[in-house]
Amino acid sequence: MLVSFILITLIAMFGHSEDFLGTTLLSRPLVLGPLVGLVLGDLSQGVVIGATLELIFMGNIKVGAAIPPDVITGGVLSTAFAILSGKGPSIALALAVPISILAEMAISGLFVFRAVFNKRFATYAEEGDYKKLQRLHVLSGLLKPLLMGLITFTALLLGADVMKAFLDSIPVWVNDGLKVAGNMLPALGFALLLNLMFNKKVAPYFFLGFVLTSYLKLPVIAIGALGVIVALIITDITHKSASTEDDDADEGESPVEPAPELPKKTIRSLFFRSLALEANFNFETWQNSGFAFAMIPVLKKLYTTKQSMSAALTRHLQFFNTSPYGSTLILGITAAMEARKSKSEDFDEESINSVKTGLMGPLAGVFDSLFWGTFKVIAAGVGASLAIKGNVLGPILFLLIFNVPHLVLRYQLTFIGYNTGTRFLQNLAKTNVMDKLTVGSSILGLMVIGAMTATLMNITTPITLGSDDTAATLQSILDQIVPNIIPLGLTFLTFYFVKKNMKPTWLLLGLLVVGFLGSILHILA
Amino acid sequence: MIKLTRIDDRLVHGQVAFTWVPALSVDCLLVANDKVAKDEFQKMTLNLAKPANTKLVIKTLADAILFLNDDKNSKANVLILINSIKDAATLAAGVSAITSINFGGIRGKAGSRLISKAIAITDDDVPVLQELIQKNIELEIRQVPTDSKQKVESLLDK
Repeated sequence: MLVSFILITLIAMFGHSEDFLGTTLLSRPLVLGPLVGLVLGDLSQGVVIGATLELIFMGNIKVGAAIPPDVITGGVLSTAFAILSGKGPSIALALAVPISILAEMAISGLFVFRAVFNKRFATYAEEGDYKKLQRLHVLSGLLKPLLMGLITFTALLLGADVMKAFLDSIPVWVNDGLKVAGNMLPALGFALLLNLMFNKKVAPYFFLGFVLTSYLKLPVIAIGALGVIVALIITDITHKSASTEDDDADEGESPVEPAPELPKKTIRSLFFRSLALEANFNFETWQNSGFAFAMIPVLKKLYTTKQSMSAALTRHLQFFNTSPYGSTLILGITAAMEARKSKSEDFDEESINSVKTGLMGPLAGVFDSLFWGTFKVIAAGVGASLAIKGNVLGPILFLLIFNVPHLVLRYQLTFIGYNTGTRFLQNLAKTNVMDKLTVGSSILGLMVIGAMTATLMNITTPITLGSDDTAATLQSILDQIVPNIIPLGLTFLTFYFVKKNMKPTWLLLGLLVVGFLGSILHILA
Repeated sequence: MIKLTRIDDRLVHGQVAFTWVPALSVDCLLVANDKVAKDEFQKMTLNLAKPANTKLVIKTLADAILFLNDDKNSKANVLILINSIKDAATLAAGVSAITSINFGGIRGKAGSRLISKAIAITDDDVPVLQELIQKNIELEIRQVPTDSKQKVESLLDK
């Protein structure tokens, strides 16, 4: 058992290393659940639990300093406890919620604590000692997996037996109630996502996705493909992108002229190092040391004296925070500016930071909504719909659908930023490509959420109407009119409360109670 | 109608576009900042970040006050963004409809201290804040709409 505990702890530590690994969703329950299942000898159960938790924590997103419940620790521990005690996904879910909320506090504490290192970072920068600076960035980054690993291991060691005894004492009817309640929780995830994308203009696409799945029984992956096609037709994006190319030809004024002189290898290292952007995330200066860490290979090439290196390092230790997914664009642009500065004495070094700070906020908005709002929704929709049936392809597709576009774009943006400077963005701003992109991605996102509402919430009613020979279940009648109307109704009910600014935690509890009571009263199953 | 007056030194970014705009059904983002209003590059980047179906207006503080006091604009659901406490005070002095100021993010600089996760203030800010409090303007810290309001008042004495 000790060996399994150690392996599970390593899984949690792997999840918490995501800040080194480019925020690539490796830490999501859909990925870690199956790994825990594998360790405990029940892969398919791990896959199913992972999918269930993924759906519940779907709307759980990280924007800015708003740290969501820690699904890594919560997901790993609850999956482990559920499998060890031989209980199903409903128990995992009942445990995941409180554990993740508690674990989040430890992480917030760490993010506050890390600010202590900022003085030391500043000293290293002053000394021009980039080696020590990058070492501290990595060491501070390791604190998160170490701390959370310790917590996970302690919880397993002390909690496994107690937890099993406790879970065994739970009567069957409670278990049944939890199951129904758990099946209802995805409504919250869907509602939180709807809150980001739903408006009158794009509302029909949600229902398009719902209808195609409900009546025609199309799988979520087909809806994803259809969504791409519909989005392309509606926004007519291919037509307009032709005119963007025309704009490229016309040389506009740009505060950042291209400076292609650094070796390709150095620019590529910006991309690789950007994956560790968030490793030392803290509440005082956020991703600052991550930015400096990524810039070091460029700075090494450009600045050979201690004095110039020190100035450059200090410059890049300023407050920084953006979406990791689009960070390479800013890194590329900054590298081009640094290259120009190193060549000319009268280059205004202030302009480097003003471009950085000017871009970080806006680009965070663009890339967070594209990746969290669209790619992750599609990835989770396709992945969870397979995984919930125990299919191992689920987590694999989940990672591929998200990370193939993510890594390709992130890599390309490094070079686009470096080679074209801010001209790329200026051209983008001249066209309405961004508007089309936001509309197109919400169309795609909504169609997939519509499909998920129809397939991934298994809620029915056992109520029977009439008696004896003429008895028919209410569900069979509903199915003839609007299949899946109960999940649809629940999702919109939750969405209504989200709109009213009710806290997700309360909604979560509310759904649990409704599901629980519904099950006991034999209204819902 | 002014839906929110927010101090956020990153102006338009993820939290704003992604959480506040949908939560408050905002259809007009007003960035009130003298420097940005004259900076074509910054204007361009802010335009990239604006959410679809939302209007973005960038004005100097003086023009923003005129805009907000103009009855013609009273139908829009406006979210005002400023990047400093000083600008917020100027705006609140010129626009009586501002009765509450949301503190979203002010990064630390030399001589500042953190009063909340993402809010750093300097000693010079304190009298400005006290004056706002005396004028009965609510000063609340929330990064995203679902956070609980934390009053600036209660954090000042520390």
